[in-house]
Formats: sequence, structure tokens, C-alpha cells
Amino acid sequence: MSGAGPALSILAGIVYAVILAPIIVVVTLAFSVDNYIVFPPSGFSPRWFAQLASNAPLLAALRLSITIATAVAVLSLAIGVPAALALSKARFRGRETVRAIFLAPLLLPTLITGLALLTFFTPLHLTATIAGLALGHMTITLPFVVRMMTTALATLPPDIEAAAATLGASPWRVIRRVTLPLAAPGLIACTALSFLLSFDETVISLFVAGPRAATLPVEMVRYVESRTDPLIAALSTALIAGSLIVVVLVERLVGFARAVQA
Amino acid sequence: MSYLELSALTKRYRETVAVDRASLTVEQGESVALLGPSGCGKTTTLRMLAGLVAPDEGSVSVAGVDVTRLPAHRRNMGYVFQSYALFPHLNVLRNIGFGLEERGFKRAEVRRRVDEALTLVRLGGLEQRRPRELSGGQQQRVALARALVILPSVLLLDESLSNLDAKLRDTMRQEIRSIQRKLGITTLMVTHDQVEALVMCDRVAVMNAGRILQVGTPVEIYESPGTRFVAGFVGRANWLAAKRSESGRVSVWGTELPIDAPRGQHLELFVRPQRIRLVAVSEPTGGDVARLTGRIARSVFVGDYVETVVQGADGELTVETPSGQPSLHDGSEVAAVWRVGDMRVFARDTT
Amino acid sequence: MSAISRPHLLVLPGLALLAFIYAWPIVGLLRTAFNEIGPTGAMVEAWSLQTSREVFSDLFTYELTLNSLRLSLSATAIALALAYPVALFLFRTQSRFRGVLAVIAVMPMLVSGVVRVFGWLAILGDRGLINTLAQSLGITGSPVRLVYNWTGVTIGLAESIMPYMILALLAGFGRLDRTLEEAARSLGASPLRAFLRVTLPLSLPAVTLACGLGFVLSMSAYITPRLLGGGKVFVLATEIFEQATTNTNWPTAAVLAIYMLALLGVLAAIAPAAGRRNKA
Repeated sequence: MSGAGPALSILAGIVYAVILAPIIVVVTLAFSVDNYIVFPPSGFSPRWFAQLASNAPLLAALRLSITIATAVAVLSLAIGVPAALALSKARFRGRETVRAIFLAPLLLPTLITGLALLTFFTPLHLTATIAGLALGHMTITLPFVVRMMTTALATLPPDIEAAAATLGASPWRVIRRVTLPLAAPGLIACTALSFLLSFDETVISLFVAGPRAATLPVEMVRYVESRTDPLIAALSTALIAGSLIVVVLVERLVGFARAVQA
Repeated sequence: MSYLELSALTKRYRETVAVDRASLTVEQGESVALLGPSGCGKTTTLRMLAGLVAPDEGSVSVAGVDVTRLPAHRRNMGYVFQSYALFPHLNVLRNIGFGLEERGFKRAEVRRRVDEALTLVRLGGLEQRRPRELSGGQQQRVALARALVILPSVLLLDESLSNLDAKLRDTMRQEIRSIQRKLGITTLMVTHDQVEALVMCDRVAVMNAGRILQVGTPVEIYESPGTRFVAGFVGRANWLAAKRSESGRVSVWGTELPIDAPRGQHLELFVRPQRIRLVAVSEPTGGDVARLTGRIARSVFVGDYVETVVQGADGELTVETPSGQPSLHDGSEVAAVWRVGDMRVFARDTT
Repeated sequence: MSAISRPHLLVLPGLALLAFIYAWPIVGLLRTAFNEIGPTGAMVEAWSLQTSREVFSDLFTYELTLNSLRLSLSATAIALALAYPVALFLFRTQSRFRGVLAVIAVMPMLVSGVVRVFGWLAILGDRGLINTLAQSLGITGSPVRLVYNWTGVTIGLAESIMPYMILALLAGFGRLDRTLEEAARSLGASPLRAFLRVTLPLSLPAVTLACGLGFVLSMSAYITPRLLGGGKVFVLATEIFEQATTNTNWPTAAVLAIYMLALLGVLAAIAPAAGRRNKA
């Protein structure tokens, strides 16, 4: 096979333009001088970034999102990695059932999950709380972590752990000295992914959030519906930059493409 | 009492019996091979010995101590895996030193012993390399050094030469054998390669379908195979359909041969191609030989030897003669002659 | 070898958590569908089919269903037309930037839905990229309405499901034998004919799967219809949210949610069967 060929490459290029268009437009708009969504902008200025810094609701939402995303990432790993270890290493009855249960939440749309959580959390007074939002996000991040780590652990070279055992390492030492270090790339990717998934999660948050406990995506939805200025563009640009930095960091440390193969 | 004793080890997986009451004794310093085709249970036996697989029945003892219930990490056995199983995230030094670190040796002492081991396997100077930077042969030596440096009671080798190319395999066979002799370490190796077993070991245990069929020195296994399987598995063989003659002897191609027929239905005569001489039909032969006549069907020059196929009344006989001898014409009548002691008769309903 | 003696302890926390935040709430949702709204507007615990009857006798429900189906079909079709070339390109290309290009293709997944929608507002809006371009080129005199209507939602939705379809297609392409097209070429087919007669038919199972995925994602999408629809686009998803939050009519929302799941379930059952037919 001699490669992609000119016709296909041009077609693909056009589609790439469509994929990247919204992002490029948003970043350009972030520096717009206009008060409305006008493209191309009539001039450029960094004023919207300055405005961001003084927008209290958005900043509060940003802080909340970071807090929740961090908690969600940590908890998802703390609960998901042991489960992944058991699923990939131990043979026990009902293993496949357990595996299916862990992946089940990803089958239903977040719309349904969000509705279910709304009806469930309200009588428990968990709506509009950090705990409620974090728990809601974990319906997505926990299955992801379990799935990614199970795959990562299963792709370790064969007999590595047996070798460590024959050399005198007890089961716990094997995990500490061999399994976990080799699983480190997967762990790093999982942490970053959980954080980003929680940070960007919108639909469940819309159900579970409240007027004073809103994550950043929720606050952004409210803003887009009520105003028509490019402030969100500036915020979006900052978020895109942040996500890119995380992705590049993970790629550097780990090989993102390889980790994403899970 | 032997140094290493496997007693009626049995392992079942669902319906199949992978290992069926395997028993074996190994003396201290001895090198024994578990030889058999793939799937015969030899690797499973080795893993039970190492504690990586729990046997359903049977026991393992080392120097008189029953270790059957002991977990793998307390058995102090050096295991060299077929895939080498080197730790990809550690360099050669830390790979080899892994077991020493588990035993609590200090860094300087670890370094000293690892250097010794590297010298032993002739890999000095590569301590800082990672496994992926090493060739197959180098990885194998690292795996061996790693297993030996912990001064194990037993060395276990699992098909460890099968991933190497032919030339390297030859070299490594000699090296491992000389290291094993030099250290006097009790060794059990699993292989499907009979040359490996015969060359590297003091004794060979032939396995098939989970059972150990025969244990003996390489010469015993080759010259005196106890079962049909062993006869056919080690070395090359001729198999001729045979009948029981009226006087209780074996009859092949209508000719009665000077060997008694055992009990059993379908008899087969076994004789190795290299033990057969071809002579003119008119030439007389002594009484202590078997003799069959036939015609030469074809002759093939295979470099070191010539392979001749003799067509008889009821089958074919393959003969190997060293090259350089006068050749015989296709179609000419010839007598195939061999010593009585070089043949055996097996009944087909036994293994 | 099992290095873990008590695996149950390791999976228990995760299972317990999922039971609490997922299984139990979903069961609760099913239960809620049997409740009613009492005269005061508050929810009344009951075991009745009254709410279901109301929902399914309302013509609006079916209008919403049709809207959702039409929207999902259009968005999936557009997304497929765009995703297929990219997936094929990534599959075939031997450029050393292949990894980077693959990441770029799915980069929209890293950006939250709100951000992307905002980008489309800027592209399709009255004073956005397309209208400005069209007007300066003289194609139209006055701005064309591309947002806050079905057009905008369709386009935005298509773009948001595209990365998922690209991944699904790539996974399917991975199982294709590259040498088959070469064989066709050696037998005399032009590159285009070889593609049409060999690659395209063989890729149909992957296409079916990708479309199934895209359809399911479109049917349940919420952010794009809400923000790009500007309150004028009504689909099942928007109605569910509306009933649940603005009207706090949980029973109706629950019935609609189960209805949507049933529709998706039917689709999930059809798609593999269609895929199998394509393979034959």
C-alpha cells in the first residue's frame, strides 16, 4: 500500500479544517475587540482576559471544578486500580460479571444518569453539593479507570510477575516492585483522563448543580444563554490551553497514543 | 534419599489431566531433562516444582524437606523462563540483582555478586543496559545470571533455548552445560528438542500426555527405549508391520527374524536407519543378525550421509549410510542387515 | 498464577460505590415512572400508569420522537461523510506525523461541549464567519439564519459525534487486509474501482457500527440542541431536561427517559443484524 494518495489527503484535509474550525475561531475570538460575537473580529485586544479575572461567578466555578476534578481523579484511582488489579490478575468466580458491572455505566447516556441522580440525590440533600457532583462524575470516571487499567495490566509481558516471585518477592512486593512501576504510564494517563473528564463533564452537572454550587461547564452554559459577548471565548481559550498542556505532559511522560489504545 | 523428589504430581484442568502422577528423583548436582512434545505437561510439571502452579495431588521435596505447600517466593529456586521475563523497567544490573535485593543484601554486595554472575555468563560491561537494548542471546544470559546469582537449590530451565537461532543455540548449550557442571548445581530442564536433552543432561525423562514414560541416561533412552513413544521420539526410526510366526518369533515381510514376539495385537518392528548395513544378497551373514531382502527404490545424497530406501514385500526400510561408500543401483536386489540387539518389537496397544 | 488471595476485597469498594451512585438511582428512575403528579404539582408516590398514558397519548411526544430521529439521522449521515475520509486517510497514511494527526482528529473530545458550541455560534452566527464571508463575496445580501434552528444544531451535532465515529471506523479498518486492494489493482482495477469494489464493501461492518454509535450519541445529546437551538429546537433530550428541572415533573421525565432508552435499545438490536447482513 503506497500511502494515502493526493485525493484522499485533500479530502481529509478539508475535514480536518472542519474539525479544527470551531477551536480556531474560539481562540481568535478570545482576542476580539468587539462586544458581540462577530467573526472575523474588527480588531484585537486582550480585554476579555482581563474581564475574566474579575468575573466572580466564573472564577468560583473554576475553583469548584478544579477541586471536584482533583477529588474525582484521586478517588477513581483509589477505588478503580485495586479493582483492576483483581480483575486482571486473580481468577475468581463471577469475574466476568464483575467486569461487566464495572463497564455498565458507560452504556447509558449521561442524560439518563443525570436524571436518575437528580431524583436520587434530592431527598438525600446531595444536590448542589461538592459530594453530589463528585459522585455524579465518578459514574463516568470509575468505569474508565477500571477499563484502562485492566487493559494496561493485562498487556504486561508474560511471566514477569512469576519471575519476580521465583526470585523471592512476596505477592505484595511483586506488585510494588514490578506490576505498579510497569503500570505507571497507564496510571498517569488515567489520572489525567479522570481529571479532564470530570472537569469538562456538563450534562450530569447540569442536573445535579444548584444556583450556588455550579461547576465551570454549568456556569458557562448559563453565560452563553444569557449573554452574547466573547468572554466565554477567552475562558475557552484558557481551558483549551490547559487541556493541551495536560495532554502534552502525559505524552511526554508516557506516550499518550499508547495509553489511549485501552 | 535423593536431593529433589517429585512424587506422583498431578494437575487437572477441567476435564483434561495435564500431568498424571509424575514421579522423578534428581540427585544433587545432576542435570535432568523433561523431554516431550508440546502439550505433554512438562512445563506444568516444572511450574509445580517452582510453586507457580499448585498441584492437585502429589508432593515435591528438596533435600528431604516437603515444599509442596511453600509459596514460590520461599522456595529459592532459580527459574529461567522461555520468554526470559526480564524486567523491562530495570537495567541489567538491577535485573540480576533483583533476587539479592529481595534477600536484603546491601548495594555494594549486590554489585559484587552481580559482577561475578556477569563474568560467569560472559556479559561483563553491560550492567547499565536495558533489556530492550540487548540481543536475544544476551537477554538469555542475563536471565540465566539472574537465576544463578541467588545461589538457588535447584536451577529450572523452561525451553530457554527455543527462541535462539540454531548457531547460538549450539553455543549456549555448551556454555550452560559447562556452567552447570562448574557450579555443581542441580538442574531440571524442560525441552522438546531431543538433541538439547541428550547433550546437556545426565539423565532424560521422556514425557507424553502428562505421564513420564521412561527415565534413563541419554544412551539408555536412545538404545533401549521402553515404549513405542520413546522409541519414535528420540532419534530416527524405522517402523515395520510385523506378525507373530508359528514358533512365536516375529515375522516381517514374510521373513522370520531372530527375536521373540511379545503379547499383543498389532506388532511393530523398530530399528534405526543408521544401524542397518546393506550387502549383496549373495553375501553370507552370521547368526546373530536380522536380515531382510528387498530392492533399492531410491537413493538420496544428503551430504553427511546417503539415505537409501529399500522396498520389501510388505513395506519400506530406510537406511542411512555414511557418504563416500560405493553406491548401489536403483532396482538392484539387496540384503538389509543389522544386529539383533539393535531392534525392538512393540505391540501397538501399549504406549 | 494468582498473586492476590482475596480479590473480592479489592473489587468490593468499587462495586458498592457503583451500586450506590448508579444501580440504585437507575432503579429509582424506573420506579419514578410509576409515580404521578398530584393536584398541588408535587410528586405523588403511586404505582400507576397514569403518567405513561398521558405521555403516550400526547401527540407532542411523537413530534419529539420524529424530531430526534430526523436530527440523529442527518447528523450521523453528515458525520459519516466526514469521518470516513479521515479514518481511511489515517489508516493508509505512512507519514511520520500519523500519531499526531490521529490525536488532532479526536481532539474535539478533549474540549468540552460548551466550548465547541460557542465556536459554532461564532462560525454560523449572523455576524459569524460564514455569513461574513458569503456577504463579502456577494453570495447573499442579508445574513442567512444558521443558528438557533435545526440547521445549526445538525451541523454542531455532526461535528461533535465525528471523533467517536472516526475511532470506531479506525478500529474496524484495523481488521482490513491492506493487501486485498493491492490484489485488485494488480488484477487491473483503477484505484477508484479497487476502492469501490473491495475496500468499501469490506468496511461496511465498521461503517454500520460507527453509524450505530453516532446515532445513539445523537439521540441522547443535550448540550448541542439546547445551546445551538436557542430554545426553538425540541427533541426528546431537551424535553426530558425541561420536565425534570423547570417543571419538576419527575414522573413524566422518567417515562420519557425510559421511552428513549427503549428506542436506543431497539436500535442496538437492529444495528448488529444490519451489520451481519452487510458482511454476507
